[in-house]
Amino acid sequence: MFTKLALRNVRRQIGNYLIYFITVSLTVALLFAVNNIIFGDEIAKFAQGMTEMRTGLAGFVVFIALIVAFVLSYATSFMLRLRKREFGTYLTLGMTRKNILTIFVFETAIICLIAMGIGLVLGLFIYQGLMAIFMHLLNMEFAISAYSMNGMLFTIALVTGIFIISSVASALYLKKVSIYDLIHGDKKVEKSVKHPLVWLIITVLTLVVCICSIAVFYWSVDEIMMKGMNANYLFLSLFAFAGSMILFHVALSKSLVYVLMKRKRFCSRGTHIFVLRQLSAVLGSNALMIGLLAFLLSFSVIAANVCFVQKAMQELSLNQNCPYDIVYSDNLYSTGDTGKVPLPQAEEVIESYKHIEAKYPYALYTTGKNDFYRNTRWSGEGYAGLTDSFMSVSDFNAVTQPLGFDPVVLNDTYLIVANLPEITDYDWENFTFTWKEQDYKYGGVTREYPSLAYMYFYVVVPDAAVEDMKKEVSYMAYDITDGEYDAASLRQALSYTVEREDGAETYERTDFRFREYSRQQENATSAILVVGALFAAAIFLFMAMAILALKTLSGLSDDKKRYQILYRLGTGEKEQGRTLFAQTFTFFLTPFAACILISVPTAMIIKHIITLSGMAVLQWQIYGIAASIAGVMTLIYILYYAATYMIAKKAVVHR
Amino acid sequence: MKEILKIQNVVKYYGNGSVVIKALDGISFSVAKGEFVAIMGASGSGKSTLLNVIATIDRASAGEIYIGGKQISAMREEALSAFRRDALGFVFQEYNLLDTLTIGENIALPLYLKKVGHDRAERELQRVAQALDIGDQLQKFPYELSGGQRQRAACARAIITDPSLILADEPTGALDSKNSKGLMQTFQKMHTALGSTLLMVTHDPVVGSYADRLLFLKDGKIWSEVLRGGRSRQEMHREILSVTAALGGEADVY
Ligand SMILES: Nc1ncnc2c1ncn2[C@@H]1O[C@H](COP(=O)(O)OP(=O)(O)OP(=O)(O)O)[C@@H](O)[C@H]1O
Ligand SMILES: [Mg+2]
Repeated sequence: MFTKLALRNVRRQIGNYLIYFITVSLTVALLFAVNNIIFGDEIAKFAQGMTEMRTGLAGFVVFIALIVAFVLSYATSFMLRLRKREFGTYLTLGMTRKNILTIFVFETAIICLIAMGIGLVLGLFIYQGLMAIFMHLLNMEFAISAYSMNGMLFTIALVTGIFIISSVASALYLKKVSIYDLIHGDKKVEKSVKHPLVWLIITVLTLVVCICSIAVFYWSVDEIMMKGMNANYLFLSLFAFAGSMILFHVALSKSLVYVLMKRKRFCSRGTHIFVLRQLSAVLGSNALMIGLLAFLLSFSVIAANVCFVQKAMQELSLNQNCPYDIVYSDNLYSTGDTGKVPLPQAEEVIESYKHIEAKYPYALYTTGKNDFYRNTRWSGEGYAGLTDSFMSVSDFNAVTQPLGFDPVVLNDTYLIVANLPEITDYDWENFTFTWKEQDYKYGGVTREYPSLAYMYFYVVVPDAAVEDMKKEVSYMAYDITDGEYDAASLRQALSYTVEREDGAETYERTDFRFREYSRQQENATSAILVVGALFAAAIFLFMAMAILALKTLSGLSDDKKRYQILYRLGTGEKEQGRTLFAQTFTFFLTPFAACILISVPTAMIIKHIITLSGMAVLQWQIYGIAASIAGVMTLIYILYYAATYMIAKKAVVHR
Repeated sequence: MKEILKIQNVVKYYGNGSVVIKALDGISFSVAKGEFVAIMGASGSGKSTLLNVIATIDRASAGEIYIGGKQISAMREEALSAFRRDALGFVFQEYNLLDTLTIGENIALPLYLKKVGHDRAERELQRVAQALDIGDQLQKFPYELSGGQRQRAACARAIITDPSLILADEPTGALDSKNSKGLMQTFQKMHTALGSTLLMVTHDPVVGSYADRLLFLKDGKIWSEVLRGGRSRQEMHREILSVTAALGGEADVY
């Protein structure tokens, strides 16, 4: 008999069940997709060797799983709250608490099972979609990716675990709660916020802290990149930002209505006071949730920006770091290497992969002194053995001209070449370099050239100057025929084992740098980053919307009565619609608005960092990325909001 | 005397297809300005339906309704809402007040909806709160009040806009006899001191005895009419009891 009762109830609240169902299905789908990626070997193949990435990935999944768990348990508790009154009625009819619990758990289990089935199927598609993006980012042919059994089992285990936990929570609640609370618990208006003035002050303070932390972050990026300060302030400002972002939204939720309510004239127009009172209840009691959502949404915005900019900058940074297809550097000081391939032999190996079109030899020399380094912060303790490096102007011109640079002319002057921005901060103009009784005057400091040697900086001098210096490293830059090739295996072929002097360990090394290999590595990194960011953004966005929608819709049965009263008092259909819009949109907007605004400082900081790191940035590109991310997120948000609004409107507005 | 409400041949059907219920079956009457009219009848006789049709929250299937000379059955939806807001006041049996608003905000809400401005709304609020003796409860929320106090607040809200017609559907339905007596005194005060025109549905003969005139409904038709004509409440009460006995016997007798 009770099963019949329960079934009828399901039919009556089909809308709410549908929302619960969709929420569970989608969370399962997203979870399954990410687990497939983690447990499958597609991405693992690319992440191989990148241990940091692996740990990062694992941490990321745990983070996502926690959040998904939160949404699922929230959705389940939503179901319980939805049916409080019904359970109360059952109790008064003489049903035992155990009976009710059995019905509830049984019902939710069935819904969860079906939702899990659908979620798993849906997850397969989402996974394929993500893999398609991933493969596209790697410039690889998309093939249907294999599913991972472990991923599926892990997903099922996770969802079951979450279900059991929330069932236990429901059981504990049902065991303790009084019948009166079940039946009348939701009749009482949610308590009004205590100490709204304090919250208002906190709102203002945290806003200030938030803005300050962004400023400190900006400044500490400068300090780190220009003066090599440690990153303490950077982390501090990040923590301050996260904390103040959460607290700001908590405080805002608690004080926003209070501020508006103080404006009597505003309150006494139309349905304003009604909207404010509605919001006061829902915002005040969900302040912490709104704070968390705001944090996750800003995380999504920032992560998406960083990842997409990284992707966009990849080509630029490749040109910067690997201007030539292959660069050989012979470290003359390394000894005891076995299996080191002699250069002519190595070139034959290269030829077997790709034809060498041109070779550009160049070298670095040293005086054994630190005349230049002495003027920088790379001197003194910790930099004891560091000596200046020099390149002859003819070598320099020979290797830079093919890259499209004009030849440099030095008339007893020197030119400092570096990528680090701080190099220009030192007083070089009054510094004269003397070598073998010859004075070389300041001829410039430049950051324009791509990196040809891996030094903090080197000094280009007239050819005559290096004649008496000791050769430090000789390089050979190669131009090979265009097109892709198996850089990884070429790199492997030119690697050799190095034995440490103490004989403790051996390690693989190669004296070559392969542009193609770096490109592939960076591709894999940015593919993982982009897919990860997309995924995180999707999950957080979805989660925020699901929670907001569940919250809005679960209040509908009460709202229905309230709107009926408004209707009787002469509020027309249109005005009811406007009122509902103001009420629900403000609720949706509260955790979202600031997060979208975060796009602006994020883009500014990213642009700043890239400028500092010596790459020419296309300003519009960074702002364009920020704008598109904000745009897409807003669009999804609006669509979701519109759906919620339509459902609510249908349920609530009286005609 | 000026006619506030005029109803002609109003018919109301519920349902469609095979099962059709005729809730109102050709009802005609009118209410003059300042009158206090009660509608009585057995459960299911069509009292609430009649009130809802007059209140413009339900539409009649046929017939004409004039309020203040305006034919409401011809009005469009948005115009009806504005009409309800400006010309009518309501007291219902339950769910009268918005639980999220304070009593003061609840009472002043019709004025807010009319956008009369803060100062005037505040003035009117003080006026009706004083008249109905609820001035010290304006800051409270409905759940902090008793059922009788809530109904009084609903009355205050019904009169705050000075509507040409106040409609009440079993306003004492949820109250005990002491509280319903208090509420009826409130109604009488509204009627005599403030000159409100009242149309009230009740099935309580004691409550009905406060009215100037009583209409008895049976099966959607006006079955009989009782006029006070200067009689005392006790005499009215006795007459009502005899009419209800004749009406169907099983009517509620308190
Ligand atoms: N929305 C509706 N749909 C179908 N039938 C309805 C509807 N509302 C009322 N009725 C029917 O119309 C008739 C009159 O109902 P109404 O609510 O007007 O009675 P009432 O006199 O107010 O009774 P009570 O004293 O119990 O409140 C009843 O037979 C009822 O079943
Ligand atoms: Mg009724």
